[in-house]
Amino acid sequence: MFEVRDLHVAVGGAEIIKGLTLSVPAGETHAIMGPNGAGKSTLAYALAGRDRYEVTAGSATLDGTDLFALEPEERAAKGLFLSFQYPVEIPGLSAIAFLKAALNAQRKANGQEPTPAPQLLKLLREKAAALKIDEEMLKRPLNVGFSGGEKKRFEALQMAVLQPRFAILDETDSGLDIDALRIVAENVNALRAPDRAMLVITHYQRLLDYIKPDRVHILARGAIVASGGPELALELERDGYDKYLRAA
Amino acid sequence: MIQRADLPTRRNEAWKYSDLRAAMDGVALDAKRSAATPTHGGVIGALAAQAGNVETLVLSPGQTIVRVDRPAKTFAPRLLDTHVAAGATLVRVVVQEDSDAVSLDAAHVRVAAGGTFRQFVLAEGGKLARVETHVSVDGEAAEIELNGAYLASTGKHADLTSVIMHNAPGAETRQLIKGVAAKGGRGVFQGKIVVERAAQQTDARQYHHGMLLEAGGEIFAKPELLIHADDVQCAHGNTAGGLDEAAKFYLRSRGVPEKEARAMLIEAFLVGAIPKGLPEAIDAELRERIGKWLEAHA
Repeated sequence: MFEVRDLHVAVGGAEIIKGLTLSVPAGETHAIMGPNGAGKSTLAYALAGRDRYEVTAGSATLDGTDLFALEPEERAAKGLFLSFQYPVEIPGLSAIAFLKAALNAQRKANGQEPTPAPQLLKLLREKAAALKIDEEMLKRPLNVGFSGGEKKRFEALQMAVLQPRFAILDETDSGLDIDALRIVAENVNALRAPDRAMLVITHYQRLLDYIKPDRVHILARGAIVASGGPELALELERDGYDKYLRAA
Repeated sequence: MIQRADLPTRRNEAWKYSDLRAAMDGVALDAKRSAATPTHGGVIGALAAQAGNVETLVLSPGQTIVRVDRPAKTFAPRLLDTHVAAGATLVRVVVQEDSDAVSLDAAHVRVAAGGTFRQFVLAEGGKLARVETHVSVDGEAAEIELNGAYLASTGKHADLTSVIMHNAPGAETRQLIKGVAAKGGRGVFQGKIVVERAAQQTDARQYHHGMLLEAGGEIFAKPELLIHADDVQCAHGNTAGGLDEAAKFYLRSRGVPEKEARAMLIEAFLVGAIPKGLPEAIDAELRERIGKWLEAHA
């Protein structure tokens, strides 16, 4: 379903991703683990289409569609979702207005009518309740004054509302306390489905106690240097990244 | 009588970024009567007086008035000379609509003890459009809010100028001006706050934030704070920048097309200057105008 082949990405002329190949079949959740500076966030941004993350070679496809031929909003409409490591604060734009604009823009791109306001509100309430998000928070300006945990919960809410086909979770565990981590993980797990796949990017094994991956890949110096089952994450937790850094 | 040669140019400090004499080239000066009575409101006040275009508004103690002023889309300088009596409230919204004219509007507002003056100006610019506000805080514990937003599209010049004189103690003054300039558009903010020696315990905040929508837009800002009292709280801030690219990418990554994302972000930026608690119909009109402007120019 999601395929990356021999991907090279440069930022400001410096190559960060150096020939990365990855395949995530429908219904599976994969984890990418790697030390600081390995290129984890660069990979996430390049796939989502951020400016200045220049794809110099290779391909990425979602359901056979070339992602790099699409604008960021077109990738989203196609079903790609990136949960940001650092969600952006937008004063003056309420969280609810943001969600409404996002959902209806995607529906429009896919030839669907906008969701009627009462139905949308009901959907938001239901999903927000599952994430223990206070309705008042939805009226506040987007991410402004949200705690780290609230921001990540709001990312999870967006994912629950937008129902992406392929989700990339970039360090969703950073800034989360144990309770918030559990709530976010439960909601991510609830989204696991045979027709959906996920890529969880993280430093630590801890998140993977809650979101159990089918496969674990180790990213070091811009490429996948090892892949294995969930046991690979436990080995990393015990032995660290040293071995892979030396080998890479 | 103000003749063409008396009109200010960039050499006059108060008109540094708005060359009135140059803009008036080809525009007839109206002089129905001579300015026999002393007028307030600077050059615009004097021009309004000689055109017979001065309105006097006196509020009685405790009275509340909400009014919307719409400067003409032709050259017709006007002055509102008003007195906010003790405990009275004047809420004034100025909608300066996009035009090709030299549009000049001034208000001179004297505020007595416990009086409130709240103003919001939406300026869409013109060949040269200036909305100038002079506030004189004459009584204790007055409340002043002087907000505004300017939207300068290609070829338009929008100028928001204000002077707030604190002559009495204990006033609370808030000013938040936001503005955007497209390529070839020019936005001007000049805001002077003076705290006289008698005006102890004045609490004044002034902020101006400009956003250049693309290369070739211009924003000029001259914030001034003159404090002669020693027991006051005053703060001001002034920024100019571009659209937040990270925020735009965030919206696009959620499926919002680029043009729409841009408009949403600019709107979110601008509406922050609209005061809370305006009558619903006025608030809706302001937001609708901003939305329409963004559709056409952002």
